Amino acid sequence: MLHLQPQNLLIQKTLNEAIEALRKGSPLTMDRIVSDFDYTTYHISNTAEDKSILLLSVKTKAWVSVSECQLDGSLTLLKFLADHYSSLGGVTIPSEVEPGYDYTLQITLAELVQESILQLSVLKTIILSFPFELAISKFIELSQQQPAPVEAEITGGEVAANGDNTLFTIKYRDEENIFIKPSNDRVTIIFETIFQDETDKIFGKVFLQEFVDARKRNRQIQSAPQVLYSHEPPLELKRLYQPPKVAEQSRRFITFVLFPRHFQTKELQFHSICQLTLFRNYFHYHIKCSKAYMHSRMRFRVDSFIKVLNRAKVDEDDENDELSAEGRQQARRTFTGRKIVY
Amino acid sequence: MSQSLRPYLTAVRYSLEAALTLSNFSSQEVERHNRPEVEVPNTSAELLLQPMHISRNENEQVLIEPSVNSVRMSLMVKQADEIEQILVHKFTRFLEQRAEAFYILRRVPIPGYSISFLITNKHTESMKTGKLVDFIIEFMEDVDKEISEIKLFLNARARFVAEAYLDEFVY
Repeated sequence: MLHLQPQNLLIQKTLNEAIEALRKGSPLTMDRIVSDFDYTTYHISNTAEDKSILLLSVKTKAWVSVSECQLDGSLTLLKFLADHYSSLGGVTIPSEVEPGYDYTLQITLAELVQESILQLSVLKTIILSFPFELAISKFIELSQQQPAPVEAEITGGEVAANGDNTLFTIKYRDEENIFIKPSNDRVTIIFETIFQDETDKIFGKVFLQEFVDARKRNRQIQSAPQVLYSHEPPLELKRLYQPPKVAEQSRRFITFVLFPRHFQTKELQFHSICQLTLFRNYFHYHIKCSKAYMHSRMRFRVDSFIKVLNRAKVDEDDENDELSAEGRQQARRTFTGRKIVY
Repeated sequence: MSQSLRPYLTAVRYSLEAALTLSNFSSQEVERHNRPEVEVPNTSAELLLQPMHISRNENEQVLIEPSVNSVRMSLMVKQADEIEQILVHKFTRFLEQRAEAFYILRRVPIPGYSISFLITNKHTESMKTGKLVDFIIEFMEDVDKEISEIKLFLNARARFVAEAYLDEFVY
């Protein structure tokens, strides 16, 4: 498995099971907790009286920071999600959120279609995509204005008069954040990441370096976003964000520069956002995979070394022939019958 | 095999062969003990022989410490950068955790070296000395090869993964 999929397979499976059971006339009693990347948990449960109605609740670490994102107050996260999900068959939005969770959707199993199942399984990505959507609309707004001098912005000069100070932050893990910065000709996405483990840090360096170099090396992916990697906050971020002092050594910043061609159509846009939200997972997943491969390889190598060493052993038969005289001597005993130890 | 590796390995081979003339020797200090003299604090100088230090460069060295009934051989594996450092550390630890299958492997290397072997007279009695030396030489060759292969693999994988990820943005 090379790519991670944005949809949560367990949700799809659970919903399909529930539909199947309902069709057979024996609806399931549901109370399942499904987990996803980045401290996200889903809770799928039945309402007590009606088993054909499911509640899908989500709790995610990013919720607080994502719901704080807004452009001019017109579009909030709740409205964004409501717009997205209310149009789907079989999904309604209840007025109350399940206690302990951040957002709840109500599912009427009888009316549920496959498209809705797919959309429900990417709920986490949809939540995370909200700041991206905002950034893109801000970008469109900025690009229609008179282009501001790019140089001034990059060198961290005076804040441009057109209020080019928008920065969306997703705090999706304890110490790690995603920053999204729209400007008039591009959208910059900056991942702040920390490596817990020394080994991960060094492997991570190898991987990140390849991300930076891949685009230069391979002509086919020239049109992919530019990737930059640094120890210090990039200039776009410098005046807007001060990283905490802790773990400064292992803090890294990875910048993706998206150009309009990466979000030209709605589909492209969603696809790019999916990929970006999975970036950290993808990257750590492959570090773990290489470690696992190394482990199995070392195991194999140990076996082959043992084989070589066993070649050195004297065979049992040889021993009896060659060392029979010596062997007898070895068995010498004292007159009390104890073996003599040399 | 590179030009300088061959003489290095040959030197190690002959030194080991010379050192592996071990005999059974009971402890002079503790009755009914028979212990590898190279490993215990020793007051009798006649039991320890002159250690041999063979070095290819500052990163690749071998220390052979012979004694009357045991030889300790320590190996420093080349570690050019931090990735190789991690790989060598992982690999030697992996081997050391399986030391009982290796008979002659010491569980802990002596300070300053990556991995140590301890060959006692028991081993030379139950194994052919020539083959033991062969094993150690083969080990030295393979460890370097293995480490550089894993490193290449890591880079290749990183490159592939990065290109596959960025490829998703290309339409």
